[in-house]
Amino acid sequence: MMRDTRVRRMPVMLSALAALGLAILPLPDLLDPLRPDFLVLVVYYWSIEQPQAGGLSLAFFSGLALDVVGGVVLGQHALALTLTAAWATHLRLRLRVFSVLSQSLTVFALLTAYQFVLFWVDGATGNPVTAFGRWLAPITGALIWPLLARTLSRLHER
Amino acid sequence: MVAFRSTDISGRPTGLLFRCILFSLLAFGLIIADKHYDQLGRIRRVLSVVAYPAQVAVASPFRGWAWLREILSTRDALRAENSRLAEDLRSARFRLQRYDALEAENRRLRGLRDNTADVAARFLIGDIMDLDIDAFRERVIVDKGAQDGVYVGQAVLDAGGVFGQVARVGQLTSEVILISDAAHAIPVQITRNGLRTVALGTGDMNRLKLAYISTSADVLKGDTLVTSGLGGGFPAGYPVGTVSEVKRDPAQSLADVDVRPAAALDRARELMFVWLKPAAKAPTP
Repeated sequence: MMRDTRVRRMPVMLSALAALGLAILPLPDLLDPLRPDFLVLVVYYWSIEQPQAGGLSLAFFSGLALDVVGGVVLGQHALALTLTAAWATHLRLRLRVFSVLSQSLTVFALLTAYQFVLFWVDGATGNPVTAFGRWLAPITGALIWPLLARTLSRLHER
Repeated sequence: MVAFRSTDISGRPTGLLFRCILFSLLAFGLIIADKHYDQLGRIRRVLSVVAYPAQVAVASPFRGWAWLREILSTRDALRAENSRLAEDLRSARFRLQRYDALEAENRRLRGLRDNTADVAARFLIGDIMDLDIDAFRERVIVDKGAQDGVYVGQAVLDAGGVFGQVARVGQLTSEVILISDAAHAIPVQITRNGLRTVALGTGDMNRLKLAYISTSADVLKGDTLVTSGLGGGFPAGYPVGTVSEVKRDPAQSLADVDVRPAAALDRARELMFVWLKPAAKAPTP
């Protein structure tokens, strides 16, 4: 496959690693359910802005990393992240010209779909988590999206 | 299909749908393989080594802070702690003298009845790493793994009592599921009357529930629960918790019994992995 030489992979890898760190950073018990899925948001960002840089393999392997650190069924986050990142890539040309608010709403839909796939795999493999709290992460994720997108765009336009 | 076939700005088709299906199938395969066949243990163990640097990087500032506080603690504080520990050790030694004799007697008596329970043979101390792995599951990562001989299903204790058991083992780390996890159950016994039951996790670190206690069963607030050793996973006789509340509704056939765990599930820093010595066979008469 032809590789675009102008694509810089370094910022992608660095931001993904940093986001993985944020995903396992200890938080007080009360805040923990509110933690946005940082790595998922980062993968969406690169799927939208630079799908050549990481693409779906970035999504798949980031998901696999989440599976390993989270100690859940191997492939669960990988499946959810692959599907929703593909969706984000499909919508990317529209998303780039959206206002911040519409972008956040779309990200909310993506995160909810992501959470739904996780929920479904949890149930299918026999350890369902039915706590309502798990549906809070998409909300905080959508709220933090504008900030995250601005930070990452500074990183990749430098 | 056509809708998914998007192109780059340069006009090159990306084959998004194809790759999406490919990766999804791969993920599906992993889920099914991990769920139904136990073939992925080795893959997971290797992957956990890859994740290890990230885990250490996140946990080390917290460890560094604890270390800094330790070296900055004053001489007086250290001396006070030292004398307190010496005191603790002395009283523990006194109790142990009696305990050894009692254990020997107990084993002999049990041996007569051919039901010698498993006893703990070897211990290993591990530190909990400062990591959050899932907000909705009660699990912790400990810095001991397969290379230290830790195995899946191994009992884990803390200073107060039973903490949990090993759910997954990596090369350098392992994942411990707490007794308060909603998916965990541990066979227990009430010390007062020997009633055997099962303590179920609730997802709340300060509360376990007893399963299948009929409303007429002899369970009182304040009863102490210890591991019964049935099922073989846990050594017998280690404290699990005390009964904190018994709710009896005459209309129901089962009582609601809440238990407060003996282990400091939310505060423990150091855990003890336990290796069981298989029960000694009693001499047949």
